[in-house]
Amino acid sequence: MPTVVLMDVSLSMTRPVSLDGSEEFQRKNLAVHGLTMLFEHMATNYRLEFTSLVAFSSLWELLVPFTRDYNSLQEALSNLEDYDKTCLESALQGVNNVVQQEWGSGCPCQVVLVTDGSLGIGKGSLRHSLQTLKNRSEDKKFPLPFPFPAKLFVMCIANAEELQTTDTMDNLEQLLSLNRGEGQIFTMEGPLCLKSVQAMFGRLIDQAYSPFHAVLRCGNLSSDVQVFPRPEPVIVDEEVDPMPRTVQTDLEIVGFIEIGDISSPPVISRHLVLPIAVNKEADEIGTSNTDEAEEETSANQMAGKSPNFCVLLHGSLKVEGMVALVQLGPEWYGMLYSQADSKKKSNLMMSLFEPGPEPLPWLGKVSQLGPISDALENPYGEDDSKSPFPVQPKIKRSYSQNVTVWIKASGLQTDVQKILRNARKLPEKTQTFYKELNRLRKAALAFGFWELLKGVAELLERECTLLPDNAHPDAAFQLSHAAQQLKLASTGDSQYAAFDHNIAPMHTDFSS
Amino acid sequence: MDYFQGKILYMAEPKMMFSVSHKTAFVVDHCPYMAESSRQQVECDVLTKNRAQGVIPLAPVSKSLWTCAVECSMEYCRILYDVYPTNKLVNYIVSDSEFHVLNSWRQGDQSTQELMSALAAVGPPNPREDPECCSVLHGLVAAVESLCKITELQHETRTTLMDTAERVANRGRIICLTNAKSDTHVRMLEDYVQETILEQNKLAAGSDRLMAIQQCELVLVHIYPQGEDTLVSDRTKKEVSHLLTSEVHSVRAGRHLASKLNVLVQQHFDLASTTITNIPMKEEQHANTSANYDVELLHHKDAHLEFFKSGDLHMAGSTSRDSGLKETVTLKWCTPRTNSIELHYCTGAYRISPTDVNSRPSSCLTNFLLNGRSVLLEQPRKSGSKVISHMLSSHGGEIFLHVLNSTRSTLEDPPSISEGCGGRVTDYRITDFGEFMRENRLTPVPESQFADLSEKSPVERAKAQLERYTRYWPMIISQTTIFNMQAVVPLANLIVKENLSEEDVLTCQKTVYNLVEMERKNDPLPISTVGSRGKGPKRDEQYRIMWNELETLVKTHVGGSEKHQRVLDCISACRKPPEEEDRKKRGRKRDDKEDRLEKNGNKEADDKSWQESERLKGSIEREKEEQESEVIKDSPDSPEPLNKKPRLTSEDIQPPEKPKGPVSLLTMWTNRITAANSRKHQEFAGRISSVNNKAELYQHLNEENGFDLTLVIFVWESICTSIILSFKGNLIYE
Repeated sequence: MPTVVLMDVSLSMTRPVSLDGSEEFQRKNLAVHGLTMLFEHMATNYRLEFTSLVAFSSLWELLVPFTRDYNSLQEALSNLEDYDKTCLESALQGVNNVVQQEWGSGCPCQVVLVTDGSLGIGKGSLRHSLQTLKNRSEDKKFPLPFPFPAKLFVMCIANAEELQTTDTMDNLEQLLSLNRGEGQIFTMEGPLCLKSVQAMFGRLIDQAYSPFHAVLRCGNLSSDVQVFPRPEPVIVDEEVDPMPRTVQTDLEIVGFIEIGDISSPPVISRHLVLPIAVNKEADEIGTSNTDEAEEETSANQMAGKSPNFCVLLHGSLKVEGMVALVQLGPEWYGMLYSQADSKKKSNLMMSLFEPGPEPLPWLGKVSQLGPISDALENPYGEDDSKSPFPVQPKIKRSYSQNVTVWIKASGLQTDVQKILRNARKLPEKTQTFYKELNRLRKAALAFGFWELLKGVAELLERECTLLPDNAHPDAAFQLSHAAQQLKLASTGDSQYAAFDHNIAPMHTDFSS
Repeated sequence: MDYFQGKILYMAEPKMMFSVSHKTAFVVDHCPYMAESSRQQVECDVLTKNRAQGVIPLAPVSKSLWTCAVECSMEYCRILYDVYPTNKLVNYIVSDSEFHVLNSWRQGDQSTQELMSALAAVGPPNPREDPECCSVLHGLVAAVESLCKITELQHETRTTLMDTAERVANRGRIICLTNAKSDTHVRMLEDYVQETILEQNKLAAGSDRLMAIQQCELVLVHIYPQGEDTLVSDRTKKEVSHLLTSEVHSVRAGRHLASKLNVLVQQHFDLASTTITNIPMKEEQHANTSANYDVELLHHKDAHLEFFKSGDLHMAGSTSRDSGLKETVTLKWCTPRTNSIELHYCTGAYRISPTDVNSRPSSCLTNFLLNGRSVLLEQPRKSGSKVISHMLSSHGGEIFLHVLNSTRSTLEDPPSISEGCGGRVTDYRITDFGEFMRENRLTPVPESQFADLSEKSPVERAKAQLERYTRYWPMIISQTTIFNMQAVVPLANLIVKENLSEEDVLTCQKTVYNLVEMERKNDPLPISTVGSRGKGPKRDEQYRIMWNELETLVKTHVGGSEKHQRVLDCISACRKPPEEEDRKKRGRKRDDKEDRLEKNGNKEADDKSWQESERLKGSIEREKEEQESEVIKDSPDSPEPLNKKPRLTSEDIQPPEKPKGPVSLLTMWTNRITAANSRKHQEFAGRISSVNNKAELYQHLNEENGFDLTLVIFVWESICTSIILSFKGNLIYE
């Protein structure tokens, strides 16, 4: 989930923080301090996150495009300049553009808005934006909600009491509800100082940037892993009981399926599964005096050398062209597979299916997937020539069952011509002739199109008269038999017009 | 259009499972006036050029209003069933002097085949019937009654929800195809439906199988013949009451009606249209040339979500057809095709239905896909850059439009797996794990087979199998000997089974004898020399390691299974008893290592010791019970001599006579068995009189006869003589 840091650089951010005794800070300094802390955290614990920095006042500017280079973000932060007034609406529009340009509209993002809570006055202020919300034309709509799923975290360099004296808090809450309630407003507790700004950003980190650790299991084999980006709770849009679902920290492999069988399934999100070394106590012996950094590298080297299940799994999935079906929670599954990027680096990846008992119609219910040893005969065949997948639906779709549609005249003409073509090749085409004839008959009966039955009967009779001299004698018999049967059906007489009845070829002395 | 209509949302805004589209009641007028001709003529006698001249072509046929209504409503159902095979239900009602309900809400009744058959039984309207007693009102009443009837899904959901059952909604739609007299007539119909809903809701309140209607959408389609002026005016949706909304469409029979119902089915079920262009198809007549065709498909509109959100819709080639009634997004057929082994990043898959199902280009495309091939689709952009945004693919006879992610990935440039934990280990058993994965592939199990609730679900059984298969599974080649030996394969494959057959036990035993034979012949073993100095362990040491590992493997599967136990017994009986000297020495050495290893986990560099400590850890865990009752320390390499240690209670066990060393599983097992057995027999006189442990042991070992006899009996139980001979040979050799 990429992050956009939206930094308020209006003049009000330079207001000094009244502190007795110690050196003087501006609110901006506190904000920068908090963001530094966030960037440091991300650089160590969340370093695959893409972050960009946008500064805004009455205008907005993309200072750092999406990057994993936290030094450049830090640098930009230390070179911030001060500008005029706060105009949040255009800044949010800016965020919208920046995100969509980079990630399209399907990628969930987090927006961290850092402001002192004085959100402008008059035109361009948040209050004004919110007041005019309802009477806007289509092209000047308020940027929230974003077209992409987004969480909005508002970091106020102010405490709640201060914000409540004006309508700022109400406005921010309204902003959040415009974002469908996704996100949170953070305020500082106690006096405005470095400590309380740290505490506030600490809460943001816990809330949105704590790494997701889990244990990946396959029977008795297991590995500690980090799942990145963190899987967010998912709400299934069921009318009856919308409950947010979270991925459990025990990821249990259920079994394996060939890539061809799982067949590019739709997924709700993708995540890297990175093995991690958790057990650091293990190599404490004798390393008490070494430098911390050195210890870390040696620990990493140790971790690199000891076998890890993720690496084994990844290797085999890649070689065999398979995926592992993994359970993420009750009635929720995903798949693990090897993913290679353009540089031929490959990785263990996990995709989450939509929660529910049957995420992929072609697998059937996941709870009904069992080990092949349960089947009497290996469903994959002894030489892997078969597969039990895809599961076939009970009823065929229209395009695979030769339905009759005569909405366009051409549909009807084609069907009639097919019968006539076969009629001219009797008796060789007797079977097809009757098959097509019966198909037409059934449809005509269902549609109450008796006139057509009469018409085709006449056509067949005409064909009969047009038969060449050298025609097989059977042809004439079959044609007049078919014509007669159609005529009978067109009377609606239940004896001849039954839907399930089929006109059978006439038995003649020639046909045997 | 916002992303909120996506299937998965990031906050609670329920998409309604029981929206009005859960239940659709079709009411088709079957009164005498519907027998009237639509006056749209179809020429079905298309003469080919080379036919004899002078033949008078057949007069064109024309469909009745009834035929038009029926075929268009069937087309509506066809599209609906293609895109939503379940839970979008149709109840088809025909109305003349009375009503005829052609099917029910049951899922089994939901197919065009069923409806066609029922319609054939009804037949066209009888023009001679008295128009006075015929009315579409009968059908409308039946439709309201029917909407009150509970569907399978509503019933199931209510049952599972129990106390919150009232949250299951009951909404529905009535599509009435009729020929109305005037606007007043239409108003009369609306009022009638409104009254009926109120009446039926009262009835429903007192019934278990009925539900009151909370919302009903009435869609009146007035059909009139071509060339006539309509007597009824179109009207957009208006609210009749809080329960009922109504809209009126006045359309000419024939293709106008067809396209109206096509638009309606899209509106009612959130569908959108995609036209695939540039499909190359070979002409029948000119096999070596190909022409390009277009095929229009309908599907859930979420497949276009990305276009809507990004405002790309127009660029995507949206065109309006049929005087602005219908919009379609154009996607270009893309060559080369994709293969099935590729795993695309796909964010959605939606069932499709071709608009013109049996046209040649449509059936050509669908057959191509049904044969298992997939096609990538490209989104035409004005910049000329090529973006692949969709894929068509079939699964089990159903065609899906897959939405592919075409934007930048947030996961690009991740650290390679070789840079992380375990990344520098090079001898993973990749091929073996591949084999393991093949054996643990999944297969759908028919539901009835496991109807018994006490039975584990198939997926739980799959997990249980994974647990069994991984009880002892070294991840790298240098950690294992037995899995590098072809000779062990038959046993290793069988021992993981939940239940062994007699035949399986025999195969396992044969494997063991085979190993004994190898040992006798002094065949080399594929022992890894990684991490050990010099040439690695000596031959007999190699076999000792191998036997230990084999025992470890089998022991993890014994747990209560008599047949698995027999395999273990066979191994215990057949392996060479280790030399006393060696055992003492190694035992002490290992003891030190053990202490360290327990703290260090698996970080020990010496892979041999690692290996053993690992096994021990596993075994210790699994056999905690035994460990708790008997804390006997023994060398892991030495199997307990097969004498019975007699005692009456298990409390007074002392670590006897043995050299110090970690407890081997076998020791623990044997001790347990011995403990159990000892309660069943009288104590040996020698044991009772003993004072010194060490002395006791030698005394018993020296009782050669007894020892030998036990072994022979053991072996005799299941084996052929030749093996005994070779075994004896071993003893002699020693």
